[in-house]
Amino acid sequence: MNRLEEIAEPFQMADRDFRLELLLEYADKLPPLPDDYTELRDQGLNMVHECQSPVFLMAEVRDGTVHVIGDVPREAPTARAFVSILREAFHGESPDEVLDAPPDALRVLGLSQLLGMQRTQGLSAIYGRLRKQVEEKA
Amino acid sequence: MADYAQPDVLVTTDWVAEHVNDTASVRLVEANEDVLLYETGHIPNAVKIDWVQDLQDDTVRDFIGPDAFANLCEEKGISDDTTVVFYGDRNNWWACYAFWVFKLYGHDNAVIMDGGRKKWVDEGREMTKEKPDFERGSYTAPDAPNVSIRSFRDEVLDHQKKQGQMVDVRSPEEFRGEITHLPDLPEESSMRGGHIPGARNVPWSTAVNEDGTFKSREELEAIYERGEGLDRSSETIAYCRIGERSSHTWFVLTYLLGFDNVSNYDGSWTEWGNLVGMPIERGDAQPVEA
Repeated sequence: MNRLEEIAEPFQMADRDFRLELLLEYADKLPPLPDDYTELRDQGLNMVHECQSPVFLMAEVRDGTVHVIGDVPREAPTARAFVSILREAFHGESPDEVLDAPPDALRVLGLSQLLGMQRTQGLSAIYGRLRKQVEEKA
Repeated sequence: MADYAQPDVLVTTDWVAEHVNDTASVRLVEANEDVLLYETGHIPNAVKIDWVQDLQDDTVRDFIGPDAFANLCEEKGISDDTTVVFYGDRNNWWACYAFWVFKLYGHDNAVIMDGGRKKWVDEGREMTKEKPDFERGSYTAPDAPNVSIRSFRDEVLDHQKKQGQMVDVRSPEEFRGEITHLPDLPEESSMRGGHIPGARNVPWSTAVNEDGTFKSREELEAIYERGEGLDRSSETIAYCRIGERSSHTWFVLTYLLGFDNVSNYDGSWTEWGNLVGMPIERGDAQPVEA
């Protein structure tokens, strides 16, 4: 099973309130941005423009391993949780783990329903950005 | 604040701080764009109302009906005479949307906390993760929604043919028809880019200050009336893409500037832009006639 699908399992079994709790846990555990990247972030590079919140996201591939580097303000916990989930799923894995993951991450995680059709936009863009960067750098 | 047409619809963060424990008569409601933000911390004794989960019924692509509305209120400990104070993220954008739905169902005592969640947080005021549990309220289900503040597509078409006054509150790029939707967003896309012919373009966030509070009446008059030539005695329709940003402008025009007759076209561009036979216009709005 793909890492993303493993993470999705508890989400799929959860009701609405428990899904929010799971998301909150992920939002809380996104590590601080490494110092080496704060300059890039502060220059406004690698921002996901489709997202209403200032989401910084980069994927790097070094020695065949994916590195997910992201930063999202605490005022945007949903986007923060989603970036944290992607990091949990793909950081330290092979590029194939990203490229073979389901293309509709939001549906797999049961988030489309939670968010409604109007606010999935930024999150889809975040995921699209990650996959594109891994594909280019792999 | 006192200069606004109806200053009583706004309360300050100070007022809210003084009333957080008046839970028998006052209900604080946090309404956010971000579905998870309330869970990270909120004003003590505030309940959450989510615009997708609580206010919409996607099986009919409409707002919840009168009975569901009354039930929602009762669950949140809101009764007919409760003063409901809305606040939220993004300059009270969603707070205004929830406020509009409450007005649609005729709730009298509804106010907005000026400055929203951001101002409260910036002032270093108390936040909690504790979810309050109130005794069930007693709410009389309204007979029907007050559709005088809601416009439907045929009314908008009639209004447009009569060259009625309209405000498109989306970004200039959306208004001019350069973009129809954001990438990866097929659900919210429109077949055509542009705006309803004759509409003025005033992006919704033009109405707020850096700190999240509404601009002064003088500044708002300069933007909407002198700047865009809108006449407060003429019927006005506000719209955006799905009707949420325009509920913010509806609030500003109705309560802060005292326009006589403003309604929100919540079908907005996702409806109009896709309908067969509806006229559109591209490019900038015509200059305002002196």
